[in-house]
Amino acid sequence: MTAAPAAAPLVSADFRLALGAFSLEFALEMQQETVVIFGPSGSGKSITLRAIAGLLRPDTGRIDIQGASMFDAARGVDVAPHLRPAAWVPQDLGLFPHLSVMENVLFGMPAAPDRERRARALLALTGVEALASRRPRTISGGQAQRVALARALARETPLLLLDEPFSALDEAIRDGLRRELRRLRRDLGRGAIFVTHDLREAYLLADRLVVLVDGRVRQSGPPDEPFLRPADREVATLMGFRNVYRAEVVAHGPDSVEVDFGGRRWRAASWAGEHAPPVGAAVDVGIRAERVALRRVPASEVESPNGVSATLVEDDGYGLHHLLRFQAPGDLSVEVDLPARPYSVLGVDAQREWTLELAPEDLHVMPATRSA
Amino acid sequence: MADIDWSVFRVSLQVATLATVACVLLGTPIAWWIARARPVLGGMLSALALLPLVLPPVSVGYYLLYTLGRQSGVGRWLVDDAGLRLVFTWWGAGLAAAVVALPLFVRTAQAGFEQIPPSLLDVGATLASPRRRFLRVVLPLAWPSLAAATLIAFARAIGEFGATVVVAGSIPGQTRTVPAAIYEAVQAGRHGTANALALLTLAGGLLVLVALTAALRRARHA
Repeated sequence: MTAAPAAAPLVSADFRLALGAFSLEFALEMQQETVVIFGPSGSGKSITLRAIAGLLRPDTGRIDIQGASMFDAARGVDVAPHLRPAAWVPQDLGLFPHLSVMENVLFGMPAAPDRERRARALLALTGVEALASRRPRTISGGQAQRVALARALARETPLLLLDEPFSALDEAIRDGLRRELRRLRRDLGRGAIFVTHDLREAYLLADRLVVLVDGRVRQSGPPDEPFLRPADREVATLMGFRNVYRAEVVAHGPDSVEVDFGGRRWRAASWAGEHAPPVGAAVDVGIRAERVALRRVPASEVESPNGVSATLVEDDGYGLHHLLRFQAPGDLSVEVDLPARPYSVLGVDAQREWTLELAPEDLHVMPATRSA
Repeated sequence: MADIDWSVFRVSLQVATLATVACVLLGTPIAWWIARARPVLGGMLSALALLPLVLPPVSVGYYLLYTLGRQSGVGRWLVDDAGLRLVFTWWGAGLAAAVVALPLFVRTAQAGFEQIPPSLLDVGATLASPRRRFLRVVLPLAWPSLAAATLIAFARAIGEFGATVVVAGSIPGQTRTVPAAIYEAVQAGRHGTANALALLTLAGGLLVLVALTAALRRARHA
């Protein structure tokens, strides 16, 4: 590949692609980091990855890797997949069944006298050296995953494109592999774009999280950004916000805004974007179920400005935690996620009436979307 | 059995071998092309490749006779410029048998190509040049189907009568194949000869069948 100018980002892409009724608009600038594309099924994650790998041709736009043009609709550039400095791992891994593990890894390696030794070293790195002579059919899913990763690394490209590579595996194996991937990424110093619809996985692996919905990038930033400060109701819901309410901004404080929700006044200290929405603006306010606190004292005695007296109406136990649903006057429903330990310490099962505290820093304000 | 002209077996083998080689060389890229083309285009190509299957072989032979003879532009070029006289030669018979056998080869090979999981082809595309991908991924994964296709083409070509006899005639020692010899024997009332030849084709057919079954079994388990 052409030598990159020092300042060029690892990937710089901005393209559109239509496939039947579906259309994708994607833009990304990334350095040597791990970008996780997160979104529900059918949001265009795999298509994005395939376009960057060169397996799908965008209709317009451009894709640069390390400053070199891989695709440019305006200039008619479209570099063949095998000439792009990127290694792609599909969801089903795509190990060649007629080749041994070793031959699979060697397949994409540039010709060099020591390639066999380096392939062996990569298999050792991913912990499957002992399987070198086996056929993919005879190894387990977790092992196949490691082989696929070794084969991708063997390309010695600066960019890895990983399409939900852990999706077919048990949770326990996934966990181990994620941790290993983080280690590998650190040790090898390569950039990666990782696609997943698993929120935990996304949060764990991402230096940067790109939230893709219906073929549009809805939010992009450090994982805490969409996770704690989602751009809108839809992103919030994807990020696991169980409580989102339509409200109106009624006043601005120094570091907070006051919102009105059906006659209730709450103070919120978190909002999407640079500036808090103006007074009078319709907004969605949300709080994660894990961030709602339970108090025994009456709402009037709670120090926080946002106390709500509510009745426990549903209690679903999930072993290590409980998902509680509270109902308050004015048709206010609040879900609370409580770990088993505080659940038993507080004696939640012995009492119906509680005070919920919605801390201002956890109450997040977003511009209202139409689908309220 | 004394009056059997054994040269008919040599001619038949020559004709069928030539036809099979032509099918493999021509049919493999066609089948791959159809398997990889977009649905509409693939369907059209597929229909075109199947045309010889729905035509009576005698018609195929007739068109070839016309095309290869001097009355057509192609034929004139072949005969006058390239010096290739195909009409009434075993080469012409091989060509006719190839055209008749090609649809069967393409169909079977295409099914083999279509069986390859798309993600393997995609991974192949990111790891290797198209040529290397074809040789190292596509062919090894499709070979049982290609072997079956080759056997089917050979069997079809060795049994071909209508197309070959129109293009090449039935010249003893030169273009007379086993089927043509059986036809001649029946016409001449030499039933003993016809019977002996037919029995030998039956034995040969059974052998091909055994090989074909083995190849198809491999194709299914690939």
